[in-house]
Amino acid sequence: MIESTPQPPLPALARRWVVVGLLLALATGAGLALEPHVSLTSLAMVYVLAVAVAAYKLDWIASSVCAVGAVTALNFFFVPPRWTFEVESQEHFIALGAMLVVALAISHLATGLRRETDIARLNEQRARQLQALATELANATSIQQVLALGRAALDAGFAGPCVLALTHDDGHLDRPAGTDAMVHDGLVACIREAAVLGPGTGRWPGLDAWFLPLGEKGHVAGATCERPAPAADEAGREHAQALCALLGQALWRLRLNAEMLRAQGEAHHQQLQSTFLAAISHDLRTPLAAIVGAASSLLTQRDKLAPAEQERLLRSIASEADYLSTVTENTLQLVRLSSPAQSLRSDWESLEEIVGAVLSRVRARDPGRRIKSSVPEGLPLIKGDPVLLAQLIANLLDNALSYSEGPIELSVSAHANTLEVSVKDRGPGLSDAQQASLFAPHVRGDHPGVRGAGLGLAVCKAIAEAHGARLTHRRRAGGGSRFSLLLPVESAQPAREAA
Amino acid sequence: MTLRVLVVEDDREIRSLMQSSLSVEGFAVQTAVTLSEAEALWRHSPPDVIVLDLGLPDGDGLELVKVVRAQRSTPIIVVSARHQEAQKIRLLDAGADDYLTKPFGVAELLARIRVALRHRGTALAPAVTEHRLDDLHVDLATHQVLRDGQPVHLTPTEFKLLARLVRSAGRVVTHRQLLADVWGPEFTEHTHYLRLYMGQLRAKIERDPAEPRHLLTETGVGYRLAAD
Repeated sequence: MIESTPQPPLPALARRWVVVGLLLALATGAGLALEPHVSLTSLAMVYVLAVAVAAYKLDWIASSVCAVGAVTALNFFFVPPRWTFEVESQEHFIALGAMLVVALAISHLATGLRRETDIARLNEQRARQLQALATELANATSIQQVLALGRAALDAGFAGPCVLALTHDDGHLDRPAGTDAMVHDGLVACIREAAVLGPGTGRWPGLDAWFLPLGEKGHVAGATCERPAPAADEAGREHAQALCALLGQALWRLRLNAEMLRAQGEAHHQQLQSTFLAAISHDLRTPLAAIVGAASSLLTQRDKLAPAEQERLLRSIASEADYLSTVTENTLQLVRLSSPAQSLRSDWESLEEIVGAVLSRVRARDPGRRIKSSVPEGLPLIKGDPVLLAQLIANLLDNALSYSEGPIELSVSAHANTLEVSVKDRGPGLSDAQQASLFAPHVRGDHPGVRGAGLGLAVCKAIAEAHGARLTHRRRAGGGSRFSLLLPVESAQPAREAA
Repeated sequence: MTLRVLVVEDDREIRSLMQSSLSVEGFAVQTAVTLSEAEALWRHSPPDVIVLDLGLPDGDGLELVKVVRAQRSTPIIVVSARHQEAQKIRLLDAGADDYLTKPFGVAELLARIRVALRHRGTALAPAVTEHRLDDLHVDLATHQVLRDGQPVHLTPTEFKLLARLVRSAGRVVTHRQLLADVWGPEFTEHTHYLRLYMGQLRAKIERDPAEPRHLLTETGVGYRLAAD
């Protein structure tokens, strides 16, 4: 048998004998009906027809039995002396013998023909399956997708049960649930040898299953186990190998893609880091130069300096150092947030509180109280890291204080599923080009004497992203900028108090 | 009587800076570079205040806080860098009194020490039962809260929360401490209670709840009732 179907169950076995019986009964019935009108030769043709049908529909045992049955029935019912198994004349005897030979020949030829048709159909089906799988795999973008497609293809192509397992990066194999130790050992050996194992392969022929590697030696991504595995079914094994080769190729392609992306990401990251370092060192060096200058001037020229001048230098040291600590804090935060291992501390927080804490700190740099805040009562709580959110709002306010002269509005408003924190100033605003690269870590507004906004905004953006929030910038009508932080609000707010 | 401060700090510059600026203010200053040195000094002659830097070479300071707290209520002020948040909170929960974040100014350090000394043990100062600052007046004995001379009505929980802060006026009280003292030890993770009740309290007590004068937020750490 070519088709790797297992032994048919009993009812199917019984059914073919029923079919044989029915065919013979039909032929006999038709013969009895036609008898008055036709000769014995024509009646024999009716039986031959039944044999031909049986040969086409049933396997060779049944069709041979049918052939013998047809000759016997013709003899019993129609050949004189009728209703006996005896044959009267030699001519009839020869005729019956010829008919038996014809019937057997038909049955043999028809089964052979059918077998070839079956093989052709199976081959076509397999070719179509391979083609479909190849097309689907070309579109697969994840290992899970490839796995699902592979499982579906193996289940469709083989009676099963089929097992598909992938190796991890460290080389150990995922043991799929419900597989026994024998299957696991077979898969491991198959991956190790990167060759097909099982009946008919010359390797481990005693097994009751085929084990096929996914991929070629050097990059085997996993293995499959297929059942049933008759040693003679070479075509079936070849089909399984073709399927596995496709799966192996797809997995290899995905792995190469992932490696390429990783390499690209790394290159991009390194490039960013070097521009970032250049920008940072500028941001660090300038205040350091001011501090060193002022301190050395006080050390060497104190006697010649007027008290007011000494005071000015001391204040400059204090404020530059203050600025330096902000730059340091922002730099550290940006590095921390860009590391993939970063986990966000997240608790229920009140935006009113965070804004209040930020204002109390920023007011030191806002003696003229340019910042006007408006925070409505009864805002929903948000989930987030309060230290980071405070840093974000402080950076926006710092920028507004450095880049603009007029009043600054800090407001919080509640929308359907978001809380919006916006900082509006009446500064010079930004050009299109500036707006496009606003949140990049190395970009600074072109303001002589003012510095460090680029880093601050990059940190703001990183903090917003870590919270699943959006940070946007818009130019205001009448001049100035409006930065908005849109924070998601969870619809399930915490219960007020335990009952 | 001269008050004695023990400064535990491993950086020479900061140590000598603290020593000089505290000496100028009339404190007798002892310094220690390691925790073991600090513990030895503390056993030999207990100071009135300890200023404890985090990230010392021989440990994270938690042991010292425990040793000190087992015997005395000597105020401990923790000095930490930004990235030491978690450690700082652990020490505050273990009984340290307050904290300063590096870099800090001398004025801040002196203010913290002043507040810490004010609260030092009941033997030296009577337990706080009254709090007065600007427009706010809280009397714990009579359960009365006045704003601009007008009585403010608080719910029992709001009052308990305010009373807890009044007892530590000027000092930071961590989320965990507040939750344990006001709601009970099983509620120490329910920070959202604090967010909600502090919001209500601010709405009743503050002129501008969004920029509070009294109920200050120590972001990520706890709350502080302003004392000056």
